Amino acid sequence: MTVHELRTRPADSKRGDASDGGALAGQVGGRLSRVDGPAKITGAAKYAVEQQLDGLSHAVLVESTIAAGRVRSIDTAAAQAAPGVLKVLTPDNALRLNTATDWLGTPPPDVPYCPLARDITFSGQHVAAVVAESFEQAVAAAALVKVSYDEAPVIADLSDAKAGDGIPVDAMTKEWGDAEAAFAAAPVRICAAYNTPREYQAPMEPHGLIAQWQGDQLTVWEPSQWLDGMARTYAEWFGVPFENVRLVSPYIGGGFGSKAFAYGYGAVAAMAAKMLGRPVKLAVTRPQTFTAYGGRAATRQTVALGANAEGQIQSIVHRGVNETSVDGMWVEPLGSVTSIMYATPNFSSRQNVVRVNSVVPGALRAPGENPSAFGIECAIDELAYEVGIDPLEIRLRNYAEQDPEAKKPWSTRQLREAFAAGAEAFGWSKRSPEPRSMRDGNQLIGWGVAAGTYPVRRAYGEAVVRILADGSVEVESSSIDMGQGTYTILAQTAAETLGVPADNVVVKLGDSRYARAGVTGGSRLAGVMTGAVHKAATAALDQLVGLAISDPRSPFHALQPNTLVVTEGRISSPRGDGPDVPIAELLGSVGRDRIEAKGDTMPANSTPEERYKNYTTIAMALPHTEGDYSRHSWCAHFIEVRVDEDFGTVRVSRVVSALDSGRLYNPKLAESQWKGGIIMGIGQALLEEGIVDRRHGRIVNNNLADYLIATNADIPDIEVISVGIPDPHSSALGGKGVGELGIVGVAPAIANAVFHATGMRVRDLPITLEKLI
Amino acid sequence: MTSRTSIHLTINGHDHELEVEPRVTLLDALRDHLGLTGTKKGCDQGQCGACTVHVDGQRVLACLTLAAQAQGRSITTIEGLAEQDGTLHAVQAAFLEQDAFQCGYCTPGQIMSAVACIREGHAGSDDEIREYMAGNLCRCGAYPHIVAAVRQAAMEAAS
Ligand code: FES
Ligand code: FES
Repeated sequence: MTVHELRTRPADSKRGDASDGGALAGQVGGRLSRVDGPAKITGAAKYAVEQQLDGLSHAVLVESTIAAGRVRSIDTAAAQAAPGVLKVLTPDNALRLNTATDWLGTPPPDVPYCPLARDITFSGQHVAAVVAESFEQAVAAAALVKVSYDEAPVIADLSDAKAGDGIPVDAMTKEWGDAEAAFAAAPVRICAAYNTPREYQAPMEPHGLIAQWQGDQLTVWEPSQWLDGMARTYAEWFGVPFENVRLVSPYIGGGFGSKAFAYGYGAVAAMAAKMLGRPVKLAVTRPQTFTAYGGRAATRQTVALGANAEGQIQSIVHRGVNETSVDGMWVEPLGSVTSIMYATPNFSSRQNVVRVNSVVPGALRAPGENPSAFGIECAIDELAYEVGIDPLEIRLRNYAEQDPEAKKPWSTRQLREAFAAGAEAFGWSKRSPEPRSMRDGNQLIGWGVAAGTYPVRRAYGEAVVRILADGSVEVESSSIDMGQGTYTILAQTAAETLGVPADNVVVKLGDSRYARAGVTGGSRLAGVMTGAVHKAATAALDQLVGLAISDPRSPFHALQPNTLVVTEGRISSPRGDGPDVPIAELLGSVGRDRIEAKGDTMPANSTPEERYKNYTTIAMALPHTEGDYSRHSWCAHFIEVRVDEDFGTVRVSRVVSALDSGRLYNPKLAESQWKGGIIMGIGQALLEEGIVDRRHGRIVNNNLADYLIATNADIPDIEVISVGIPDPHSSALGGKGVGELGIVGVAPAIANAVFHATGMRVRDLPITLEKLI
Repeated sequence: MTSRTSIHLTINGHDHELEVEPRVTLLDALRDHLGLTGTKKGCDQGQCGACTVHVDGQRVLACLTLAAQAQGRSITTIEGLAEQDGTLHAVQAAFLEQDAFQCGYCTPGQIMSAVACIREGHAGSDDEIREYMAGNLCRCGAYPHIVAAVRQAAMEAAS
């Protein structure tokens, strides 16, 4: 349970600046500082695996050192005999668990599940685990477990000759017109291949959990983007009712897509806790985070654009491939941006997946849209040079006035405004068009532009809002805050709806005992939860006003008003002709210690089964093209790079991005999240690459010194401009997605800038110096 | 190796006696044995800066320091930075105001580094701040706001 007793400081209540339309800081749209900030900057915020429990034991995983084959034997004798060891778990003594339902809600096959493998399909697979009294003893004993294998040939990655062309994913096929013929007939044609490597979420808080059983009740403290979804998985694995599993995740040290599911190590820890009858903590080590769950799949795309001499696109032919694991399926939707960014009468996109010996890949910030934009946003830049048109101008010439795929109007699309505002702030008109035409001494300067987009994912949500006897307000939800600002924007939403100061609102998140919540992913949480809290707070306000009007003990009763207003925590008649009393006083006079309301945006006739399905799977998510509109957020990035002419080193020196996320619930926090996405995009463009050992199928650089993410010294000042307008079709309060949008389009903007600087087109990420000299 | 050794640590001005194995790191001593979980473990390999604490005023990676090595020295962690009465250190206040964090996991390490960076006289320009704060990774990408916060706190310290 997380309660932010540290209230916001008075200085935060001042009026926000012009970018939020002057909203008060404590209201929706205001620049309130994070309400969970004081806890985080003083070290008081306890993250999930930081709970201190009596009798805690420590589990350490043993992982496969081969990528394909079979475990022949596991010699545990030395580990068993090591000091402090409580248990060595192997497939031989592991509990038999059930296979759980997947996130789509697909009923699981009736086969047992063992999180420790005998058949090895990737390097780093869990094969055993050691539990000991202390962490140090467990680490030492784990090193004594001897595993011998029968090794089989490895398919290391996509470029492995044995990998083949893969399996067509028909659901990804999108076609209209006759794309191949129109391409063949087009006066201008370009066609190129674009590749992205394996990339990793690398949140600063590594994964892990503490599991504790009390009878058949399981409590799991684990960083989680989806408490109810993960609780369902644990419940199904162990064959206990969903209600018996409690997930607690008060703060999450970053997720970026990687903390939405219960993974095998969670099953290992919960199993060990059950077998030992005491709480078990399992901290995934940083190297293990590269294989305990999947990062972004490596991808390959070819994009063929046929156009007329004016640069108007006549056909797009797109083919994509992503890697998946030997026994799991991950599809990274590579045609997602390709099919909607530009108007074209002819279009074809198809995709295959290729099985390789890797952990099943997973979601990393804007799965699909991110690599998809790298393909199409580089390709249109290439077309611009081919026909001799400014890269910004060619995007406007091909502007899609409606969704070319769904053939529906956009709910809102402020992309033209984004191009205009970004170009103005960046000074794009001063760009000299020729590659290698701008320089500063030894540095070649390049300016690039690219657009990005992310669909508005919508879902149903619920929340509880409580007005307490002292007039303070509580909001409860089992949704989470991993840095997006959920604590803060839900406080603002409740405060504005109820008419109380934001510092009188306490938001409680991150405990599956609170009102249910679906996944925090796909940039959907803010839209879902502000809607649910708004609804709950409105219901609570109605109850409060109803009491004040109808209860004979109320000071308002004699006035016989039709309605009352609440502002700054005081209730009064809108005409200003009656009493004006604090909420606490009113509750006292009518003898109530609280008012409580649940807000629930599910359709009214929903069954309990539908509700369960809604919160524990994504099967009931609403398509972004449902009804009359196509809903997306949009952005345009303008980026300057400086490339050392002799050494080929690339530095990003300036970024201006204009973004349309609709209405911003808190611009201060939204700007931070946008910048975070842009910064991750800079790392993706220039640094990030999981390097695979081709002989053994291993990730060689499985640590933070060798898997390079951007550091402070890699990042210039970044200017972000909000061009969004409220979008009533996307969410109750008018916002669209924020979290994923910022990264989409950054890598192609940098690749395009590098081309402008050097005249060299790098189509393989990351853009490292050896590709430029 | 089960032998335990008793270690005396002075943390945030308070004395602590610990019975731990000699191989226990300062980071695990703080987090697991003393419940001081404000200092974070991001890698346990000296690569991320999340575990930064001050030992005798110098920034040190607690994951690369044995608890025993810190005996007899004065250790300051994030929990000891604010005044006794709860008044935030200028760097903490600047981090809140500038929104210099999102998930908050790298933040204690960033703040401890920032305090030292300013004290060392390495906060003279934005470029210098970027360079001297480059050992503290932030995957949320709060870097520009961290620079702004360090700049703000450095200016307050100078005035
Ligand atoms: S935990 Fe010490 S540097 Fe990462
Ligand atoms: S705030 Fe999340 S890692 Fe820095």
